Amino acid sequence: MKRRSLLLTGLAIGLIPALALAHGPTRQKVTLTTEVAADPAEVWEVVGNFQDMSWHPAVFSSTGENGNDIDATRVLTLGGADGPTISEILYKYSPDNMSYSYRITDVKVEVLPVTNYSSHLTVKPRDGGGAVIEWRGAFYRGYPNNDPPPELNDDAAIAAVTGVYQAGLDALVEKLGAPGS
Amino acid sequence: MRRVRKLALGLSLAVGSAAAGDLAYVTCQNGDALFVHDLSSGATVREWSVPGKPAGIALTKGSAYTVSPDSKTLRRFATNTGDVLAMTELDGGPIGVALDATRQRLFVSDWYNARIWILAADTLALQGELTVGAAPAGLAVSDDGNFIAAAERDEDQVAVFDAETLELLHTVPVGIRPFGLRFAPDGRLFVGNVGSNDLSVIDPGDSKVIATVPVGERPYGIAFANERAFVTNQYENTLSVVDLKTLVVIDTIDTGDYPEGIDTSSDGRQIIVANWFDNSLTIVDAESHSVLKTLETCDGPRAFGEFVLGGEP
Repeated sequence: MKRRSLLLTGLAIGLIPALALAHGPTRQKVTLTTEVAADPAEVWEVVGNFQDMSWHPAVFSSTGENGNDIDATRVLTLGGADGPTISEILYKYSPDNMSYSYRITDVKVEVLPVTNYSSHLTVKPRDGGGAVIEWRGAFYRGYPNNDPPPELNDDAAIAAVTGVYQAGLDALVEKLGAPGS
Repeated sequence: MRRVRKLALGLSLAVGSAAAGDLAYVTCQNGDALFVHDLSSGATVREWSVPGKPAGIALTKGSAYTVSPDSKTLRRFATNTGDVLAMTELDGGPIGVALDATRQRLFVSDWYNARIWILAADTLALQGELTVGAAPAGLAVSDDGNFIAAAERDEDQVAVFDAETLELLHTVPVGIRPFGLRFAPDGRLFVGNVGSNDLSVIDPGDSKVIATVPVGERPYGIAFANERAFVTNQYENTLSVVDLKTLVVIDTIDTGDYPEGIDTSSDGRQIIVANWFDNSLTIVDAESHSVLKTLETCDGPRAFGEFVLGGEP
């Protein structure tokens, strides 16, 4: 019995790419913010181009089409030249509000254990000077069915997205300075 | 009351408060809670703990039903005390819920096993199952009590059953990945297709789609008021407003982030929207389309189903 369920689990993981549209029962959300010394316009200069994610330490390169137009696409290569990739599409872009929203169209759950992922990046003025950068994500866990393996459960999805956001925001503080410093 | 008026002034002259005694029962999936909001005063009047990531909700006088997919638990709460009157585990992926008040039957969709559970509305005793297509999600019972409809998300179709005999009447191909659905007051069935960003409008007595109405991105829930359909567009943070005569989008209203569950006040004058990302409710005037007020609620409101109950609890 135990053996059978393990076998089934293995099978189901193999099927995940074909089931990319399916998802688990509970959508998760993560919101991280950080504060920097630079003013919002300066921050937007750094993060506001959908085609340039070089500010994130995990991103090795980015290639894409259609700039910052709605439905613009990009493929992020992570780590190194032959690293894994994440394909994304821009679905909202507002330079006036200094915010944009995009979705992942293709990623292996071994790379980022999520499905149906969407994300929003916003730059706002900070009280007392500088800027607040907010990064939000909404997603389902990597495993679309009941009883997920630990590496593809809700906690794993939240931890992975939180890790990505934290690394990116930390790099921005490094680059743009902490307020009051 | 005073607060409502104060916020509403300047937005619309025709604004009133919600029908006296209307309460919104909001299931919060991330917060494992259900908050009850008095729509007239804007106050949060009750906060219940609902373990297992509740999403689905159905209401009737005296009872609120919640579906927690993580713990596979269906609960019936007493609306006045918050006591759990009945509880049962449904082994699968319970998600959508609808009540046939006439026959006192409760229907719960099983996302993972292509079936719908039929339960006694009072005891939640399992009475049987309906076989449906893959990934059944939203369920609805027609106002006249004749039909039960299920959105079969991964089949791109809707199943319509005879509510009395539970016979499958029609399987209707719709848009891509239908999720939420509801019957309009005129009896037509409106289905939100999250994959094709449109509504399919169905005559439940027939197996055909009458019309396909393009709306915003990721249409999730549908409610009706003032001869209009209001549709939450999850990825767009808006409502599309559809004229029920012409079936054309006549307006778009801004909401909070990830608008999901949507319902109508008992007087038909207001639309209530649960914003999943923002932990808020947006209350909209069904005539002027002005946002009347925004209420804070618990974490991750889904309110997937009919969640507003009029009159005394």
